[in-house]
Amino acid sequence: MPKEVNRRTFLKGVTLGAIGLGSVAAVGSFLEIITFPNGQKVALAKMVILADKSICSGCRVCEIVCANFNSGGRNSPSLSRIIMEKEIIGGDYQPKVCHQCADPPCLKACPVTALQVEKQRGTYARIIDERACIGCQKCVEACKQYFRPARPRYDAERRRSVKCHLCFGEPQCVKYCPLGVLRLEKSDKGLMVGYPIIQED
Amino acid sequence: MKSQGGWVGKILRVDLTSGKISEQSTYDYVPRFIGGRGLGAKICWDEVPPEVGAFDPENRLILATGPLQGTLAPTSGRFMVLGKAPQTGPVESFCRSGVGGHFAPELKWAGYDAVIIQGKAPKPVYLWITDHKAEILDAARLWGLDTYRTQQMIWKLHGPKTRVMVIGRAGETMSRIACILTDTGDASGQGGFGGVMGSKNLKAIAVRGTGTVNVTRPKDLMEITHHVQKLFSRKSLRSDPYQPEEKNFKYNIWGGGYGRGGLSLLPGELLDLCNNPSSGYSQTPDGCFACPVSCRSRVKGPDITPGVAFCAQSYMYLESMVHQPEKGYSKVTWQAAKLADLYGINAYELMAIIPWLSDCFREKLITEEEVGLPMKEVGSWDFIDKLLHKIATREGIGDLLAEGGQRAAAKLGGKAEKLSHMYYPRAGKFAGYREHWVYLGGFPTGYAVPQLALMWALDNRDALVSHSYISTLWGAAFSVGQNALTAVPEKIIPVLKPVMKAAYGSAEAAEFVQPDGKNLNWKWAAPVVKRYHEHSLLKDCYILCDILFPFLFNANTPDHVGDPTLESRIFSAVTGMEMNVEDSYKIGEMINTLERALAARDGRTRKDDNLHDIYFEKEDAGGRKYKREDLERAKSDYYRLMGWDVKTGIPTRAALEKLGLKDVAEGLEKRGLIKGNGNFRGSE
Repeated sequence: MPKEVNRRTFLKGVTLGAIGLGSVAAVGSFLEIITFPNGQKVALAKMVILADKSICSGCRVCEIVCANFNSGGRNSPSLSRIIMEKEIIGGDYQPKVCHQCADPPCLKACPVTALQVEKQRGTYARIIDERACIGCQKCVEACKQYFRPARPRYDAERRRSVKCHLCFGEPQCVKYCPLGVLRLEKSDKGLMVGYPIIQED
Repeated sequence: MKSQGGWVGKILRVDLTSGKISEQSTYDYVPRFIGGRGLGAKICWDEVPPEVGAFDPENRLILATGPLQGTLAPTSGRFMVLGKAPQTGPVESFCRSGVGGHFAPELKWAGYDAVIIQGKAPKPVYLWITDHKAEILDAARLWGLDTYRTQQMIWKLHGPKTRVMVIGRAGETMSRIACILTDTGDASGQGGFGGVMGSKNLKAIAVRGTGTVNVTRPKDLMEITHHVQKLFSRKSLRSDPYQPEEKNFKYNIWGGGYGRGGLSLLPGELLDLCNNPSSGYSQTPDGCFACPVSCRSRVKGPDITPGVAFCAQSYMYLESMVHQPEKGYSKVTWQAAKLADLYGINAYELMAIIPWLSDCFREKLITEEEVGLPMKEVGSWDFIDKLLHKIATREGIGDLLAEGGQRAAAKLGGKAEKLSHMYYPRAGKFAGYREHWVYLGGFPTGYAVPQLALMWALDNRDALVSHSYISTLWGAAFSVGQNALTAVPEKIIPVLKPVMKAAYGSAEAAEFVQPDGKNLNWKWAAPVVKRYHEHSLLKDCYILCDILFPFLFNANTPDHVGDPTLESRIFSAVTGMEMNVEDSYKIGEMINTLERALAARDGRTRKDDNLHDIYFEKEDAGGRKYKREDLERAKSDYYRLMGWDVKTGIPTRAALEKLGLKDVAEGLEKRGLIKGNGNFRGSE
């Protein structure tokens, strides 16, 4: 049976990759991978937001609902954890989501371990502990090495970095996307997504 | 007073003559005038007297957002362009034009609720606004470029996230039918404000904001947004629907959502290409900011100009479908609309000018040599290419047509002017706007509706731009399986009854035809139109979409009753100020009266609230006719309801003072338009 599961999850990964979401792969038993030189391990995220940009209408509801929900009613795309990149005349609209990387560069860069893996709600999302964050923006810089624009954002007013935390398992951008561009992929086994599988986006 | 949410608090004022840039507080005007149309009307009342012409430096070009822009509020991507409009004719008067797209939220995030532009720059300039700063920059290199190219140049300089309002060649030559365009097709067309920008030597307004618009009750806003989304959209674009229970969902806007307002309504060559995945052409949905529907589509292909397709724009050159019937909606039809966008010409006006020119040619009033256009080839690429070039550069006949169809017709006079009445319904001195739907909401091809005639007589531009009333009629027609033009009033009236009761206060208001079926029922025209005006003014002040709000007809419930409270609830959630529907109608009435006072100050009287003879001559499909005496009676009723003078149609002092517009009353009195205190005449 384990073999069967492996194959199915693998095929799922292939399908997702095929619809332009970047390569997504899942591994069966390797729920954790080594990230730190000292051997500390980071659990794979169990949820990730996927976007099918081919039907995106560029309405930016995802951005603004994120800021509204997560930044206490401060409606501004500068604070949204999902970013709409547009090429207007060519008509190419791309919602840029946080990949919840398997080997998260942001998490490794944080000097005060404010970046953590959320385990309480079981999303295993890479989140920023607001109380611990010192606003050094090292996570922003680290993400920028691979993903542009950087997915963590800097909230200048509160002097903290903010990033996608999957809204405690119910991402509002997915809920509010009027066209069904965004969806939430879940796997109890953990999803092998983001860096290092995708190295740029 | 300072509110917590919604407005960002500053209005930017730019004097192009002196180059002086200043700021003033938005709270000088709000929350009383809310924003958008109310804000613009008040600024125009204070600053643009009748002596100022539309192209004078002293005219103001006002870009006004409302409290909802830049927030999650559904359809909050819109804003209003206001000022003295060159297109209103023969007398230039206050007018407004709404624009969708993504410019409005960017302006709010940059820290400004509105921009007031006055004066005239000595040389071509553009305005660059970013995060509480504004600069007037040299536009010598941009002048003469088309609207797409100008934006691309500005994106190179200021980054691709900058949103730009830009004029094309037509605006530069101060055409009265020039639009201001943003992105690939959202434009402020009606009113001719592109010409106003050209007269100020202002090529573009570029905005980039990274700031914040605060929402007082973010949770409430999310709840109501979700509610609105459930009313208007479904997430089942793919073959595998996410929400299968929504299988029988009917779109609450005609045409549908998801890019269906674009090409899908008009089959032909281009749609076939877009539907063929291997053709290299594609049609995908495109939404204004925060829109739950995305009614437009963006179209691209290897040999066409890419851009957004919707209503006026994509349907501008339907003559080409007659010219090449085998191709239907072809690449020529599309390119014609895009060429108008590149030149920055208002497509709505072209929808009148082209058929009117061919009428004139058919009646032998003009010849091909005179106009220098291939009039036998109307519908061909050659014709539209030459016509648009002439209009944009004011060459030959283009110089006349650039003044707008109505002014051109008046110049030719005689029969040519008579022929134009089909496309420009309003008589009097404040006309100049093409019918928004073909022939007064279906008439004379369909059925006559007194409410529509009264709306047309009273408005200051094309009256049916607020779609609420007509989409109620059309929604009823669709729900009994008929189409908008062929519906029979007797069939749709029963469907309309509960809807009209909720929207306009009485089920009887649905009966726009007498029980005998032979005559029209004018009894409800005035009260319905008053409420319609309040609805549309409020929508334009909060600034929500013309198509979605007010939500009066629900296609998905058995009684079809909509919900007119949505807008005020959204407003309350964003600003934290309690606003119930009845109070909001009072504000709508106040701003309606203010707009009327503005028109009255420019010389509008009861005589100008009229329609051309042609609308009283024809019978509709049921043999019913509009009658002049009925329209006159309905006008009197309307003036009485609004507290305006029945003889002149000018707001009375009593009405103005009751609405708190004492300064307006004094302004009108100074000009001898109303009598002084104590001399208030009765209504008749």
